[in-house]
Amino acid sequence: MRKKLTGILAGMALTLASGTSVYAQELTIFWAEWDPANYLQELVNIYEAETGVKVTVETTPWSDFQTKAFTEFNAKGSAYDMVVGDSQWIGAASEAGHYVDLTDFFNKHNLNEVMAPATVKYYAEYPSNSGKYWSIPAEGDAVGWSYRKDWFEDPTEMANFKAKYGYDLAPPATWAQMRDIAEFFHRPDQNRYGIAIYTDNSYDGLVMGVENAIFSYGGELGDYATYKVDGIINSEQNVKALEMYRELYGFTPPGWAKTFFVENNQAITENLAAMSMNYFAFFPALVNEASNPNAKGTGFFANPAGPDGHQFAALGGQGISVVSYSQNQEESMKFLEWFIKDETQKKWAELGGYTASAKVLESPEFQNATPYNKAFYETMFKVKDFWATPEYAELLIQMNQRIYPYITAGQGTAKEALDNLAGDWNATFKKYNRH
Amino acid sequence: MAAVQTTSERVLNRVAIVAVLVVTLIFLAPIYWIASTAFKPRNLATTIPPTVVFTPEISPFVKLMVRRSQMREQPSAEEYAAAPWWEQMVMDGGEKVVRDGKGEVQLSGYPNRFMNSLIVAITSTVLAVGMGTFTAYGFSRFKVKGEADLLFFILSTRMLPPVVVAIPMFLMYRAVGLNDTHWGLIILYTAFNLSFSVWLMKGFMDEIPKEYEEAALVDGYTRMQAFFKIVLPEAATGIAATAVFCFITAWNEYAFALIMTNRRAQTAPPFIPSQVGSGLPDWTVIAAGTLLFLLPVAIFTFLLRNHLLRGVTFGAIRK
Amino acid sequence: MATAVMTTLDPRSRAAARGMSDISIRNLFIIPTILFLIVFNIFPLLYSLGYSFTDFRASGNAAANFVGLQNYRTLLNDPFIWNNFVITAKYVVVSVIGQVVVGFGTAMLLNRDIPLKGLITTLLLLPMMLSMAVVGLFWKLLYDPSFGIINYALGLGKFEWLSNPDMALYAVALTDIWMWSPFVMLLSLAGLSAVPKHLYEAAAIDRAGPLYTFFRITLPLVAPILMIAVIFRTMEAFKTFDLAYILTSQPTTEVISIRLYKMAFQEWQTGLSCALAYIVLIMVLAITNIYVKYLNKVKER
Repeated sequence: MRKKLTGILAGMALTLASGTSVYAQELTIFWAEWDPANYLQELVNIYEAETGVKVTVETTPWSDFQTKAFTEFNAKGSAYDMVVGDSQWIGAASEAGHYVDLTDFFNKHNLNEVMAPATVKYYAEYPSNSGKYWSIPAEGDAVGWSYRKDWFEDPTEMANFKAKYGYDLAPPATWAQMRDIAEFFHRPDQNRYGIAIYTDNSYDGLVMGVENAIFSYGGELGDYATYKVDGIINSEQNVKALEMYRELYGFTPPGWAKTFFVENNQAITENLAAMSMNYFAFFPALVNEASNPNAKGTGFFANPAGPDGHQFAALGGQGISVVSYSQNQEESMKFLEWFIKDETQKKWAELGGYTASAKVLESPEFQNATPYNKAFYETMFKVKDFWATPEYAELLIQMNQRIYPYITAGQGTAKEALDNLAGDWNATFKKYNRH
Repeated sequence: MAAVQTTSERVLNRVAIVAVLVVTLIFLAPIYWIASTAFKPRNLATTIPPTVVFTPEISPFVKLMVRRSQMREQPSAEEYAAAPWWEQMVMDGGEKVVRDGKGEVQLSGYPNRFMNSLIVAITSTVLAVGMGTFTAYGFSRFKVKGEADLLFFILSTRMLPPVVVAIPMFLMYRAVGLNDTHWGLIILYTAFNLSFSVWLMKGFMDEIPKEYEEAALVDGYTRMQAFFKIVLPEAATGIAATAVFCFITAWNEYAFALIMTNRRAQTAPPFIPSQVGSGLPDWTVIAAGTLLFLLPVAIFTFLLRNHLLRGVTFGAIRK
Repeated sequence: MATAVMTTLDPRSRAAARGMSDISIRNLFIIPTILFLIVFNIFPLLYSLGYSFTDFRASGNAAANFVGLQNYRTLLNDPFIWNNFVITAKYVVVSVIGQVVVGFGTAMLLNRDIPLKGLITTLLLLPMMLSMAVVGLFWKLLYDPSFGIINYALGLGKFEWLSNPDMALYAVALTDIWMWSPFVMLLSLAGLSAVPKHLYEAAAIDRAGPLYTFFRITLPLVAPILMIAVIFRTMEAFKTFDLAYILTSQPTTEVISIRLYKMAFQEWQTGLSCALAYIVLIMVLAITNIYVKYLNKVKER
């Protein structure tokens, strides 16, 4: 017994003391815990096989991703060589010097043309139109929709829908149609509901969801170059868009007040909703019968257009940046050179990653690989994003504070919520001398 | 209870027994539900009405241990047949096992983090209880100027919201290289538990009659010998109770584990919820991780249960 | 600090002649702990106190500017923050009272001839052995109107525990009560089992009613230990973060720690968040101080 105990203690002591690595060269990429990170791990395994450099994709839950990354940056930590960071971070991370300037690398490899334009604009460039680049578009993503094809194609449903609304039941082309369909399928007594939307306000879930309405209604969040928000964030279109979102909330399953990608996928697999908003990155789980019993009856469509025909979606996705405090910057650049190669990007897409490479996106192989890739390709050329200024988080939280009570509890009006928000944002920009 | 029981006493006792059973059932229902989910097939995890009778599976535990990723298609029949039984379990859930550059199966973070949790929680518990016992003895037996204030200061160290100290702590750790080390977490948890440990042990020390040591001192023991040979054995019960509480706290701590550590020293609590992160939550895996993680504390507590009751009095009860 | 604790010892002490003197033993036992706590608590505290007077942002490299009391003024003028405090107070009161009632009640029940008492007590402690984050995740599922078993078991249909703004805070408190009543129970049980039996017997001979016995004998004797349970639970409830953060995102459940977290780790307003943390700390200190004073009074009786 005593011997055993000594053994355990010795083992613990050894673990406490050790920590050195056996690899000559290692690189660590930091990302959130989700499938694309696993796909990336598979991709970098190929790099290891080719070069002998071991690359590890380290992950943390989405809810802690931002906190963990910035705590590390702020302390000038060298734990991560590269980070696949959210598009909104780019302002904060570049102004504070956390990211290595990749402008030369970008121009040398002509990435402006290699990568899809929206990904360059939102993942890589900061400030807007400055020609300075801080990351390589890695995982393209945007919001799309999944829907219950089996419900939509049911003859009785189709006939009833046509009788009630006067047009054919099909994936919606506009937000107004989407509202009708949501209303049509909303049958609480049958435990069936119209639509699943994002409502989680603990970070960017709700705001991303609302953006899909705002952008498609022809609205904007503000002028990202001049920081003007009055008359833009509280514009007529935005009020309409917000009212629409509030109306859709009425057709969500019960308890739909803190929902994001996980809940929205569940809405499809658990037979809760007819349509569900989600990032394309979360769709693989919906096409596999082992994880989604309704896989055969699940379809996908791109974010519908607004009343004036505008059609935009909220951008997700991330670019890969080199951390300024990394001690392996040269090796990291070598890795990036490998990463942007056409064949690497092609392989990346095959593994399940959403490449941002324009060439791969346009290829028929890519577009036919899954039921949703086509919608993804179309969406990636019409995406818009939230503010990327260093104080974006304050703007985000203010927006949550103003619109959440209106959308989920019907407090006040859309106009009041957005007017107040314009006031908050103005005050924040004033505080940071942005005007 | 009194030796002679009246009829009404007996009835009352019956009622109490029934009430205890009801309370226990209510409290344990969620735990039972977590435990049973850990053995369910994935599609039965969230059914309504809940599935009570099912063939238990170990697949959640297998999935918990390996790194997996979502597949878009089912594997081909040959692929499936060629895979070992545990990999088939992963495939049944629509996922595949992630392999490293050498084609070897990658373990999930869980086993490693579980070890880290053991190292950190055990070491910090030993330190916190040890230091707490010494300090409590000091306060209990000797006159200390400003004793009440010092004790309040010790208590106050537990009042800080972790957010207050997280940033300075992080900068400090970075400067001395304690980041992402076991020792870093051990020191933090020791500091965190020390206040509790001192307060608990102080109460206990107060209850041990001074006369025991006085007698030993007369018999030629030094104060140190008296402490180790007389006082410590008497305090065993209090030490056990303190250890249980310190262990539970250190074992489950989340915020600092998340911020202060990375791959090398991170403990299990931040890992378990991360299983929700992918496209669909697999509740069976989360339940399996939770259940395994509950075992060490539950066993530890069960072993020390007899000390627990006597041990938590904080000296609030005078003889 | 080291010299402050130096003082004369009990003159009857006999140890001075042999081995280490009592003074050195006392210092050896106490000073390391105090020093340790100073380094790991006071130092970061002073650090954040300094920041609380600046506009420092830990996310950037810009130098911090001294802004005096500006941060404190901003916070105390922010209606959202006041609201956060009101919510926190409500939460602390509901959850601590709930824990005391359930915990103490269960202890009263268990303080009888109950078969398998040891096992039942250990089983009842299981909830507090789980990590907060995990409890939050599972209770979110338990409360779910579509696939949660709470509504199913209670026959509540589609009752919205967490998305009803008026209910959400109580739902969070209920989870906290489930998790931490066992802690209060354990402490109460220890207190109850230490009440001398002869007191009850004497009361029985005097034909005292059960209410009289409870209020005049049981409660006063258990009060000190119950107070300690209340102190620790109040401190923890005031700091509640994980549970509320994971369970809901209603504005009606945004306790102060959540606001603090967002300010410090999402917005990276380090200076401002340090000021807020100080306001919180002062409040907790004040409350605890009142408790401890009261505790000492109860003990003296």
